[in-house]
Amino acid sequence: MADYREAPLATRPKTLDPNEYFNLSPDYRRAEEERAALRANLKRQYQLQLNNPHRTELIEDPALTRWVYARANPYPHFRPTKKTSLLGVMFGVVPLFRPLCLLFALCFTDKFNHGPTCLMFIRY
Amino acid sequence: MLKILLPSILLLPSTWLISPKYLWTTTLSYSLLIASASLMWLAAPAETGWSFLNCLMASDPVSTPLLVLTCWLLPLMILASQNHLMLEPTNRQRTFISLLISLQIFLILAFSATELIMFYIMFEATLIPTLIIITRWGNQMERLNAGTYFLFYTLAGSLPLLIALLLLQNSTGTLSFFTIPYLPLTCSDPWAHKIWWTACLLAFLVKMPLYGAHLWLPKAHVEPPIAGSMVLAAVLLKLGGYGMMRILIILDPISKELSYPFIILALWGVIMTGSICLRQTDLKALIAYSSVSHMGLVAAAILIQTPWAFTGALILMIAHGLTSSALFCLANTNYERTHSRTMLLARGLQTLLPLTAVWWFIATLANLALPPLPNLMGELMIITSLFKWSMWTLILTGLGTLITAGYSLYMFLTTQHGPIPNHLISINPPHSREHLLLTLHLLPLLLLILKPELLWGWSA
Repeated sequence: MADYREAPLATRPKTLDPNEYFNLSPDYRRAEEERAALRANLKRQYQLQLNNPHRTELIEDPALTRWVYARANPYPHFRPTKKTSLLGVMFGVVPLFRPLCLLFALCFTDKFNHGPTCLMFIRY
Repeated sequence: MLKILLPSILLLPSTWLISPKYLWTTTLSYSLLIASASLMWLAAPAETGWSFLNCLMASDPVSTPLLVLTCWLLPLMILASQNHLMLEPTNRQRTFISLLISLQIFLILAFSATELIMFYIMFEATLIPTLIIITRWGNQMERLNAGTYFLFYTLAGSLPLLIALLLLQNSTGTLSFFTIPYLPLTCSDPWAHKIWWTACLLAFLVKMPLYGAHLWLPKAHVEPPIAGSMVLAAVLLKLGGYGMMRILIILDPISKELSYPFIILALWGVIMTGSICLRQTDLKALIAYSSVSHMGLVAAAILIQTPWAFTGALILMIAHGLTSSALFCLANTNYERTHSRTMLLARGLQTLLPLTAVWWFIATLANLALPPLPNLMGELMIITSLFKWSMWTLILTGLGTLITAGYSLYMFLTTQHGPIPNHLISINPPHSREHLLLTLHLLPLLLLILKPELLWGWSA
């Protein structure tokens, strides 16, 4: 169904119209039309700016500006949730204990070579 | 020493007295003259002693490469700022150049200082012109936040250093680099000794930056204009490394155990910041995080204090200074054309600007430590000395090198390959000024392949 495309100058038969084929509700169809209208409006604004022969400046995308701002400034909008707390612990707190683990690892490998020097080390 | 310092100081009144027609050409040629004169420091005999001595300033094989880098960077900064300052009134242009020159003076004094207090004062003094450059000439509103983070992180780290140095002065009577290695430094209370050790190192670890205290760096590198970013990435981070090298001499013997957590944190930081780089969308932030990554390696190397590690750290500092500064200049050429730092908005540049693509290529290869560039030499010496210190670090450093290659290629491929942006009318071709700027960055790097002994520090 998704691969079907009508011939360039023909029209799609009514039975193959996605709304009819999938028996979509009228609410869904209305919502879809609204979304299509919004998209077409945005496209029209972009095309007007793009093809304007007197344009000297860049076309600015406000969505992109908001997105870049959001990526650069997370701290004022941070909210502690289960997911963010878990991530914070995994990547922020646990690595702080890595020196202890390395110390343990070094000590265990040392134990079989040098014996008591390692224990003196821990007591210091 | 005064041969270089006095002309730099006198460059300040020159900036204010020259007619605006000749301002940029004169300051540029004058600072290039000072930079070529500073190369004489490299001709000093490469022994472990001090050269160009007087009571207050001296240069030794560790500080000489950094001094030459500082002097070399001033003409590059002036060359880079010329474009975006052209539209401002003359007095503001003069102020900007004066700030750059005063920064150079403070840095020369800092790197050639023979006394720890003088080094500390110059270390703090370099913060002020940089702060003014970031907050006054930055482009986005976030520059105020960036300035605050930059100032207060570094200050909070360095105030304990002041107290530690005053304590040291009290107990030993002198803080001169000449005599300090030979003084008996004992501290009766082990707990106080540990706190004193941390106080000494904290300032430099924050400045380097160490991974846990690195939050100021992405902000402070992204917000300022190109000259601010250049000087921050190329020299100011190395000030932290240089300070650590100097002060670790007096911090034995407890450094052996106390430096463990910082070494691990630095190495973990290499991997973490490398991974953050892979997910960045802001070009300057990517280069800033790559600075943190390389400096993490340098910090770990300096903390293990072996001769090869010091050599590797010094080489990597110089090579990274030149590479990072070149990358920031390239990012600035993008920014001046598209007025946006988002990488996705400036793709396919290889088709549009093939000559600049050559510079991008060389700078990216330098960033990922391609042989035979000095970046690789430094990284290799650091990785081998870390491996000798403990073989488990190889996992961290190897992974770090892999991720470095990954994000460098990611940066190159995103900006150079890919579809050309549709929303730009025209992209100006590169100016000869920009080509000159990048040549002056990358030519020393390529020449250093031929004589790396200049950078070897005390192992020469």
